[in-house]
Amino acid sequence: MSELATADFLAELPLFGGFDRAALETLATVARRRRVRADQVLWRQGDEAREMFFVLDGTVAELLALPGGRTQEVGRAVRGEALGEVELLDGSGHPTSAQAVSEATLLSLGRLGFADLLAGGDASAFTCRRCLAGLFTARLRGELGLLAAALGGEPAGPTGEDAARTFAGLEDRPAPDSAYVRRMASFHEVDPLALWGFLTSGRYVHCPPGQVLLAEGAPPPAYYLTINGAVEKVLVRGHRRVRVGLAGPGKAFGGEALIDGLPSPLTAVTRERSLLLLIPPDIFGRLFRGEDAVSRVFLEVVLRDLANVLRETLRPYARVLLGA
Amino acid sequence: MCRILAYLGDPLPVQRLLYETDNGLVHQSHSPRMMNKFLNLAGFGMKAWDPASLHPEDPFSYQATTLPSYDRNLRSIASKLASSCLVAHVRGVTYSSESAVAETNLHPFQFPDARVVLAHNGHLRQFARMRYALIDHVRPELAQRIEGTTDSEWIYALILSQLDDPFGRPRTAELAEATLAALRILREVRAAHGIDTSSPVNLCLSTGDALVATRVSFDYGWYPPEDEMLETDLPFVSLWYALGGEYARGERGWQMTATEPARSVIIASEPLTADVSGWLEVPEYSMLTAELTPGGLVFATHHLDV
Repeated sequence: MSELATADFLAELPLFGGFDRAALETLATVARRRRVRADQVLWRQGDEAREMFFVLDGTVAELLALPGGRTQEVGRAVRGEALGEVELLDGSGHPTSAQAVSEATLLSLGRLGFADLLAGGDASAFTCRRCLAGLFTARLRGELGLLAAALGGEPAGPTGEDAARTFAGLEDRPAPDSAYVRRMASFHEVDPLALWGFLTSGRYVHCPPGQVLLAEGAPPPAYYLTINGAVEKVLVRGHRRVRVGLAGPGKAFGGEALIDGLPSPLTAVTRERSLLLLIPPDIFGRLFRGEDAVSRVFLEVVLRDLANVLRETLRPYARVLLGA
Repeated sequence: MCRILAYLGDPLPVQRLLYETDNGLVHQSHSPRMMNKFLNLAGFGMKAWDPASLHPEDPFSYQATTLPSYDRNLRSIASKLASSCLVAHVRGVTYSSESAVAETNLHPFQFPDARVVLAHNGHLRQFARMRYALIDHVRPELAQRIEGTTDSEWIYALILSQLDDPFGRPRTAELAEATLAALRILREVRAAHGIDTSSPVNLCLSTGDALVATRVSFDYGWYPPEDEMLETDLPFVSLWYALGGEYARGERGWQMTATEPARSVIIASEPLTADVSGWLEVPEYSMLTAELTPGGLVFATHHLDV
């Protein structure tokens, strides 16, 4: 495959929608083409992440290793789809193994090439970050769909009216001490001034325990970031209620539905009394689509959080599969 | 902050749990993977039940304030012991002259004549303000056995005080109920003293044929200003388990072999291997119970509402 043909392929990918032809041709020079045979393992779960792949042709399965030597397929990537981008972003090991289902042709992008994509402050880097957020959100919906299928039954539990009622009753609080917020891992290594721009873009609210902030299947009233306390993210199916994650200090929720415009994929209920940063949908949209330093930090926080949530969601899925 | 490890099942070489894997408990004393900032350098302790030993109902006990990595006695003992039940602990304290590194503060705690042992991963913030209010809930014969300065030893005395016979061998359900009752008392006493900051209470209790473990925190997510433990406590304190037949090295490294029904369980603050695929995370706010019975290992996860 020539570099021009590679550039043509990259132009088809939403991730590179903001790239001009010259940028695509430059990217084509750093992307490596690989042919893999059926059943070939591309990486194993837990391996250090060194590269991501785009599938040119063929199919690659993502496999979750479970205790007792079991393996569960959690996804498949076909032409135009990506693999391994989450772990390149967060620098942790691969959360799943990747294995070719059929003979396949892949384009490999290394860690440095991936970092370059996101490093710039130009429009293409912003487009790339937003597309990644969309990709992560789609992955999360996929994982939650698997978990819901494993649980069986119909969605149950709180409704959008419950979330709206909580939203209407939230009490305003002063902004937290910036020194405290800066110590959260979520906000390390980001521009402190721009971070503060993001952290002052909404309002701070207090919520008692046991209150519904998001309802699965309903639009989210806001994007929330936990400053103090903890919020449970759950799926409810009949009488079964499975905690998907716990959003403690520095962790966000409600962003998925604001990113892709679909209803909330899960329910969120305060476990502890909580101090939350509340960002209304219109401000979320402005931050998400913006292309300044504040939006850059915001997108970074959103991406890191989604990457973390994607890893966490596999844990309850493993428990449910094993009946634990 | 600390790291805990518990095992219940077929007799297993203790060195396998402490040393042989790439993230064994001794490794976690100096290089924990799931702790931010703090190391666990304030001593090691273990209680190990060996069915082939004299008085198998009594555990072998070892505690030392030396670093376990350099402890030749520990390494030697671990190579000779095959235990059907083990509770081990590496202790971490703040780097302050106010922290007391002493044998009397080493876990697992076991009062003279008591059958129950306890190890704790976590800490009750502002414990000094509530310590003596707990005396109302602790039996005098237990209170007078407290020797050290830790919150953990008080929690131990409090749990024993909830048992019908603090020096007997409680059934698993009774031990679980006593643990739950003690956690509720702690919550009440904290509230009465206006203590509302994050206080993780990951506990591991054992009688030699049963384990009870909790992953819980009071007021998670709330911290005093300029708290030195903040980075460590921002994530919910971790707890994992592996359930199966035998913990052995296989094609995928050290793993529990798949067996139905399960015969063995390991509960640990963090997986004993870098590869976590053989482990399940204990959900936050929950309790595990495990019991060795003639029919095998009876294991359950319970939601904790305290």
